Amino acid sequence: MASILATLRMAGLTLAALAVLDLAVAGFLSLGGALPGHARIAAYFDYGRSVPGKLARWQRLPGVAGNLFDVSWRDHIAAQSALDLAAEDAARGPVVRSYGMSFVDRIVEAAAKADPGVRVDRHSGPAAPPNFTYALFHDDRASRRAGDIAVLGVLASSLHGMASLSNRSWVFEQPAPFTYPLYRPAPGGGLTQIDPLVETEDAERALADDPAAAAAWTAQLAAHDANRTLVANGWPLLDRSPFARLVRRSLALDAAGDARSAVLGDWTAGEPDGAAFPYAETLRRIIVAFAETARSDGQVPVVLLVQDGQPSPDLLALTRATLAAHAVPYFATAEHVPPDTRDAFLSDSHFRPDIDAEFGRLFAAHLRRIRALPPNG
Amino acid sequence: MLFSTTEFWLFFAGVFALVLVLPHKAQNRMLLGASYVFYGAWDWRFLSLILLSTVVDYLVGLALGREADPHRRRRLVTVSLCTNLGMLAVFKYLGFFAESFAELMAAVGLQAGPVTLQIVLPVGISFYTFQTLSYTIDVYRRKLPPEDSFWDFALFVAFFPQLVAGPIERATNLLPNITRPRAITAEGLGAGAVLCLLGLVKKVVVADGVAPSVDAVYASANPTGAEIAIATWLFAVQIYGDFSGYSDIARGVALMMGFRLMRNFAQPYFAADPQEFWRRWHISLSTWLRDYLYIALGGNRGGRWMTYRNLMATMALGGLWHGAAWNFVAWGVYQGGLLAAHRAIAGRHAETGEGARRSPWAWVRRGLWVALFFQIVCYGWLLFRAQSFDQIAAYTAALAAIAPWQFANAAVPMPPLAALAGIVALLAWDVMAERAGRDAWYLAWPAWCRAALYAALAYLLAAGATTQTSAFIYFQF
Repeated sequence: MASILATLRMAGLTLAALAVLDLAVAGFLSLGGALPGHARIAAYFDYGRSVPGKLARWQRLPGVAGNLFDVSWRDHIAAQSALDLAAEDAARGPVVRSYGMSFVDRIVEAAAKADPGVRVDRHSGPAAPPNFTYALFHDDRASRRAGDIAVLGVLASSLHGMASLSNRSWVFEQPAPFTYPLYRPAPGGGLTQIDPLVETEDAERALADDPAAAAAWTAQLAAHDANRTLVANGWPLLDRSPFARLVRRSLALDAAGDARSAVLGDWTAGEPDGAAFPYAETLRRIIVAFAETARSDGQVPVVLLVQDGQPSPDLLALTRATLAAHAVPYFATAEHVPPDTRDAFLSDSHFRPDIDAEFGRLFAAHLRRIRALPPNG
Repeated sequence: MLFSTTEFWLFFAGVFALVLVLPHKAQNRMLLGASYVFYGAWDWRFLSLILLSTVVDYLVGLALGREADPHRRRRLVTVSLCTNLGMLAVFKYLGFFAESFAELMAAVGLQAGPVTLQIVLPVGISFYTFQTLSYTIDVYRRKLPPEDSFWDFALFVAFFPQLVAGPIERATNLLPNITRPRAITAEGLGAGAVLCLLGLVKKVVVADGVAPSVDAVYASANPTGAEIAIATWLFAVQIYGDFSGYSDIARGVALMMGFRLMRNFAQPYFAADPQEFWRRWHISLSTWLRDYLYIALGGNRGGRWMTYRNLMATMALGGLWHGAAWNFVAWGVYQGGLLAAHRAIAGRHAETGEGARRSPWAWVRRGLWVALFFQIVCYGWLLFRAQSFDQIAAYTAALAAIAPWQFANAAVPMPPLAALAGIVALLAWDVMAERAGRDAWYLAWPAWCRAALYAALAYLLAAGATTQTSAFIYFQF
């Protein structure tokens, strides 16, 4: 009996010590940026906040490090693009207008450096899935000219984002709230589209004062977004404890990984056409629709397939037949650097700068080869 | 069902609840069923191998207990050896030797035909076959009476905490734990919980945290000597955290249920020579190899050169035990060579030096030897981690050309902050254990200090919990 009491006492003491340690950490995190390494440590603990908790904090404290609240809203990008077009010198020839993410930005920038004839106009979102890049391509339609080259970026590691309405649902640690439609194959061909109830940053901010709209938006995410998980979005009380935030981070990333696997349909690298991936056909139809739209506007469509550090899902296997059947020009990073070449990547998972430079050179040469650009000289 | 997953801890919670309410005999039957469920969760088909090994060794043990004729006794133990080593030979080594034979034939210009035996390696086969072999050999040597109860013997073979990656328990230790009534004590619960917490930190925070850095360098085509050195130091940390973490959790889980498993690691990187290293690293395997292989080969009874031969043979086979690949054999030969060279230079000593009292100067001198010997151990880890002899040759050449300036430009991915904190914590833990001469060194601390220590461990575990569950390295063996 005495030993049981001693063990219970020890367990109680340990819990008390954990609470004291948690309070001490919370105190340290509230000190601000005066201490060395504080910002990095604070960011680490903030990764574990719930998604609504992060968004509310970013609204309340817009100056905090890592605030992604105002990033990549499509209405902002389209408005800026219209202004840029007005300032452009149309006489200088076609422009490469890309719709992608940081990987695509780096490659087209490198192409511009490698070939002075390549002029670029980039539009992107962090880790953007194809439904975002395709929607952006449409939003920006008025800001392209005939003769331009339209580049649609597809990132392998973001493919499961096709089952989402916003990055907030599947990028747990840095949930940029910008939104995009969900596409699905229409029965007679083409695509059906579910638009998010929130499409602008202003609408997102207004939710704080409109509980009914906020509830409707949450309900839409819960109903249609296959990457959304309870552990990432629920239990707001856990946000108050640094220890609980650490635990949530681990659980939420686990849950996000499970959701990703479920969306991808346990895709294996050897699978030729992504038969188990329910969005495979959606992606193929997006590519066809993108090419048809660009061509009807007198532009050259190019699909840029970025296989970033993982052989699966295999973008080439998934799209090669469609690209060939519709004669859509493409550039695939996997044809030049196999995705399992570990030393091709930086620790932040981007390609090394020299590899991006090589991609840029090859991409520019590719544009010349398909006669998308006027001859040199 | 990995120890580092929620699934395992839910499973264990259920088992533990039943242990609390069942009487001793029913506990044992339930634990046997739970062990088969645990193993079957990987691949239920391979349960048949455990059952075969169990039935054969149980019957051989009973027959050995009745048989007095030395020739018949030898035949009986041969049946056990052939069954267990035969299983290992087929499931672990057949494909490897067939491919090696075909390559050898090709090298001398003979066509042996393509050999592709798609044999799946049953998880933990090397561990449970060695464990059950120790039983029949001990019964044969009359060190142990045969076990009468088939069900208790089956639990000895399949006991889930240590079934798939050890410690390789001796029947003399584990069977009495099974057959005699056990007490679930508050002390056992507390000490077991601390071992589990420590093991999870070692595995999840430290080993899984540094693994991507190691993998990145070992997958590179042309890393510099400094990059290889850093990655190999990190691999030394990874394999220690991974394997000793597993052993700690196994011991902790068993202790909570009233079983005392043997200690498998004793601060191995504080060894100053090869003999001491093998008294501290994977103790259950090194003592198994000593008692059942080295001594059977003649040990040190045949003079100096026979001793060296026996050391080399034992360690080469110990290397092969780790995996069906020539780099493991090379690692074993390297370890055998180190042991033989050390024996030739320094003779034999019996103690590890753990917990010894030394003067400050003696600590400094020992520290220098430990640091130097750690580099020698790490070269062994390079042999162990490499995927081909070409890689070993290229990496060895790069290490030979290492220059201090390379460290400033080394492109090794930085492990997460929590993993670095975990390495420091692990080092501090081992220093304390080394000084105290026991692994439960913290029990000498006042209660509030221990509570703070456990809380800090829990915090570290939460901070470093990675999300991609990776299998324990030793599962492949």
